[in-house]
Amino acid sequence: MNDNRIPEDESASAFVYQECLPYLRQSQNLDGGWGFLAGKDSRVEPTAWATLALSEHCQGNEIQDALSKAIGFFQNSQLADGSWAASPSQLRGSWVTSLACWALLASGTETENLTAGLRWLQEDRPGDSGRWWRMLRRLATNQNISRQSDSYYGWSWTPGTASWVEPTSYALLVLRSLPEAALSIEMQSRIRIAKQMLYDRMCPGGGWNCGNPMVYGVAGEPQVTPTAFALLALLESSSRSEIEESLNWLKKNSVTVASPTSNALTDIVLHVFGRQVATPAHALSHNRAQDDISWSIPEAGWVALSLSSKQRWLNLKCSSVRL
Amino acid sequence: MPRTAPPLLPPFSRPPSRVAIRRVTSYQSDLSTLLYETVSEFALPVRGRTVLLKPNFVGSDPLGMMNTHPALIAASRETFLRLGAERVLIADGPAMDRDTRAIIESVHLREYVGPLSRVFVDLNIDDVERTVLRTRASRLRELYLPKTLLAADFVVSLPKLKTHHWAGVTLSLKNMFGAVPGGCYGWPKNILHWAGIDRAILDINAAIRPNFAIVDGIIGMEGNGPIQGTLKRCGTVICGDDPVAVDATCARVMGLRPDKIKHISRAATLLGHMQAEKIQQIGDTIDQTCNPFAVLEAFQYLRQKPAARPPNVN
Repeated sequence: MNDNRIPEDESASAFVYQECLPYLRQSQNLDGGWGFLAGKDSRVEPTAWATLALSEHCQGNEIQDALSKAIGFFQNSQLADGSWAASPSQLRGSWVTSLACWALLASGTETENLTAGLRWLQEDRPGDSGRWWRMLRRLATNQNISRQSDSYYGWSWTPGTASWVEPTSYALLVLRSLPEAALSIEMQSRIRIAKQMLYDRMCPGGGWNCGNPMVYGVAGEPQVTPTAFALLALLESSSRSEIEESLNWLKKNSVTVASPTSNALTDIVLHVFGRQVATPAHALSHNRAQDDISWSIPEAGWVALSLSSKQRWLNLKCSSVRL
Repeated sequence: MPRTAPPLLPPFSRPPSRVAIRRVTSYQSDLSTLLYETVSEFALPVRGRTVLLKPNFVGSDPLGMMNTHPALIAASRETFLRLGAERVLIADGPAMDRDTRAIIESVHLREYVGPLSRVFVDLNIDDVERTVLRTRASRLRELYLPKTLLAADFVVSLPKLKTHHWAGVTLSLKNMFGAVPGGCYGWPKNILHWAGIDRAILDINAAIRPNFAIVDGIIGMEGNGPIQGTLKRCGTVICGDDPVAVDATCARVMGLRPDKIKHISRAATLLGHMQAEKIQQIGDTIDQTCNPFAVLEAFQYLRQKPAARPPNVN
């Protein structure tokens, strides 16, 4: 991984420690969680992104204290089956389970909560993975609407629905922390199938959208967020031509987008793939000062992560769990 | 205090609905005056209330055929403020892309509406409240819906006039999919597709009961909508206080049969009128504005039969 943040190091560091991290710490709720926006109800997804950002830049007791409270939130909000729900009163777990596991791992918490979460991910199968569903698809008259292979599947947003790019990428990113020896043959196979699904769902010409690369013969337009997470999930396959095409799309697209999310996620990917980042820290800082909309917690988290020169959150190792 | 949703009534026990069709040549027209004059005719109870405008934001749209145009959103906002609304919010939860900020920047919403900090709400990441559904058309039974939307006194669906490759058309009823938060159900909100799009549309609209609809038909999309279709200049704005009647009228303007569009005919059982004889037309007529939209092969059955031609006397 090239350390191509070095020329920006001082302004990046100042922006992270003087703006992003204080904003995150001040936005933490009393229950240890974060809402999608400051002052809103605690939810697992923003808490995960805030935890990942604070863990990445963990310095001093205040951040450590915030992380301890966040771990408490994850422990208290876990459902009996090991999963986490997207909102506190929902009774079924969802994609946010991957993010909660990732955040626990980043904060150095290899407890039974993490094990139970990863086991749920292992057991959770999307609705399009079953033989019955595939048989119905083959019989359907409208099967030519979208071009995708029914042989591949990953993870869904909510239980029992279809596989999509982002939740599959999140699951792959957290499962990557486990050494191959800790994964059963079945789990290794499932990860391979999920990666195949990502390649299958890539838009013609590179990049990903939510998971519809082609509808009625028309190529889908890629989007930044799914492209970024799919590329991160496929980081080990950086020599494949699909990755090169997608990186080129991301780089080319970066000149036209103007949002903290897209800027930050683009930069994270360009950084870890050894490319020159698109948005320098001083530009992010300037944009925030001019902004008439408060940053969401995930936005602030992604910006803070994008300004890390180490990107430790993408190289976590889990030693205590076997699937 | 949250608004009280109107009762669910079968068509025979509800009064006729009114739908206004206005011809508009472009987004540079005086939309504010036109909308104010049109909406005023409905004598809507918005004075002192919080009005929530729900446009259709989908993605980057350089040709202006995919998203509700910001000029119409701004004119709608101005109209409801002139009618005495205390607050007019603009709120949406785009279904396919979680970066709502990138979408609203790409449509230049701020340039038309002004500062967005107290005006725009991203419904995907709003706080949510468990809502038991009033109808059981789909197997959803309950949804977690945005608190801002549930707390609004008056909800206006503000869609684009488009065809849709799953639902046939996407108008004011289908537009309410955007009220279901991605923060709970993901991007896309695939749970709604698995529950059956047509049935889920009824369940969501029965739960939210949008009070009014204003459809952006100045430029629409035909063919492989709602994203990958082609630009269609239709030159109309269609609005009314019965979203089913508005959508049925839009379908007729598009040269399609509303009774063949499953979610419209299903919604007509409880939410509003679909039959032309139960809809009082204001402004321009369907005949004056009908501009048939191209549809995919799979939706050819939605087309209205061409009117019988007079015999050729030569």
